[in-house]
Amino acid sequence: MNIIKGLLLKDLYVFRNFKGNIIFSVFMFIFLIFIGSLRMDMFTIGSILFLIFFGMNSISSFSYDENADSDKYLLSLPITRKEVVLSKYLFVFLDSFISLIVGMLVSLFITILVRGSVDNIGTSLRICLIVFTSTSFLMCSNVPCIYKWGVEKGRMQSVIIPALFVFVLGMLGSLLLVLFPGLYLNVNLEYLFQISSFICLILNIIFYSVSYLISYKIYLKKEI
Amino acid sequence: MEYNLEVLNLVKKYPDFKLDSVNIKLPKGKIIGLIGENGSGKTTTIKAILNLMNYDKGNIKIFGKDSRSLIKEEREQIGIVLSDSFFSPILNVNDINKLMKDFYHNWNEKLYYEMIKEFKIPCNKPLKEFSSGMKMKIKVLCAIAHEPKLLILDEPTNGLDPIFRYEIIELFNNFVSNGENSILMTTHITSDLEHLTDEVIFIDDGHIILDVSKEVIDNEYGILELPEEKFIKIKKEDYFKSLKYKDEYLVLVNSKDEFLKKYSKMILRKPILEELMLMLVKGE
Repeated sequence: MNIIKGLLLKDLYVFRNFKGNIIFSVFMFIFLIFIGSLRMDMFTIGSILFLIFFGMNSISSFSYDENADSDKYLLSLPITRKEVVLSKYLFVFLDSFISLIVGMLVSLFITILVRGSVDNIGTSLRICLIVFTSTSFLMCSNVPCIYKWGVEKGRMQSVIIPALFVFVLGMLGSLLLVLFPGLYLNVNLEYLFQISSFICLILNIIFYSVSYLISYKIYLKKEI
Repeated sequence: MEYNLEVLNLVKKYPDFKLDSVNIKLPKGKIIGLIGENGSGKTTTIKAILNLMNYDKGNIKIFGKDSRSLIKEEREQIGIVLSDSFFSPILNVNDINKLMKDFYHNWNEKLYYEMIKEFKIPCNKPLKEFSSGMKMKIKVLCAIAHEPKLLILDEPTNGLDPIFRYEIIELFNNFVSNGENSILMTTHITSDLEHLTDEVIFIDDGHIILDVSKEVIDNEYGILELPEEKFIKIKKEDYFKSLKYKDEYLVLVNSKDEFLKKYSKMILRKPILEELMLMLVKGE
């Protein structure tokens, strides 16, 4: 457990390098949410803003590791490949999760301060969770690409692979629609939205587990 | 004899390079220097020892056990310096201490900060603001501060000023003085090994071309510089290697006494490791 803690701490130190930018951005977002709240409910948009802007910065820790060739050094210490990969996934998840929670708290506070209450908080929370799941999908597609090709070389693949995945999924959906025209008539979208939290939870577990296993397999074979 | 490290018939094939039957036996209390040109196979050997890559054939034992089956506590007994790899340059000395405390059960924080103070390393500056020598100092301290039994050092004296090189040589000599600890170090600064190693292994193009103790080099090897007219009088079977250098010939002899029996008027001097390396790689 200490090793994982140390590895997380190592990645966290990377954020210190751009703490000025982070503080500036937080204040800018607070200002934007405040101004926006004067006209409309900004809880959802504010939360998503924090998630998108701060929750995907964890990828930069890979660049720092790559530049310093840190993995070679870390694996020479009493640290296993499994611990290195696991800590990266924890870091990616915690970064997204904490960014979302902070974004929600900040947006909630400002919205209540300006407007007195949040309109339809249940719907807002579900939308936040759906966006969180989408970012999880992107991050979980990126990490194995980075392990396979490195940060620079994997940049293109990190875009192509999730896009390809969505494209294939869309094509399958369309194919089903052509083959079984009545299939979607019975789908209750409202019910689907009601259970979206549960679906998102399951999807997040699947994305992180599958992505972790792929990355670990790649990293295990990799010559450092 | 008990060994802290044994590399037995190590073979690793790449499309354009082959590390061929490398053997290293590092006894307790000894220092071995692995010398060779850039690209000769030193770092590949180190990477194989540290399980950073797979190898095709051979066996590597650390503390008598297969290196791939070492448990965490045993791996904690190894200290590492890698010339081209370390923590991110945005970290400082204090950050590194916090990380190492998590990575090593036996991390000696007191010893670490004592050495930091002794070597005058600034605590709050990020590594990126350090000179290359200062960075190397911190790497060496990290390798030592958890009190390992085996040090594996890849070019540890790179970029160091002469004073720190002297200090570090002292540090390494003290490290092995208990008779239990050992050091394997690669270097191309052969002068550092003159006062440090017990054994020198020369590696060239993936092959070990000479594995010899420092004592044998001192007692049995000799070198002489001769003009061409004198050189041609020496029979090929009486010397080990020769090399034309500027207007003279350098002649390396590996059996000093026998050579002097035949050529009693010639004066042999002790070869330095740099000459030995040059003669082994370039000589005929």
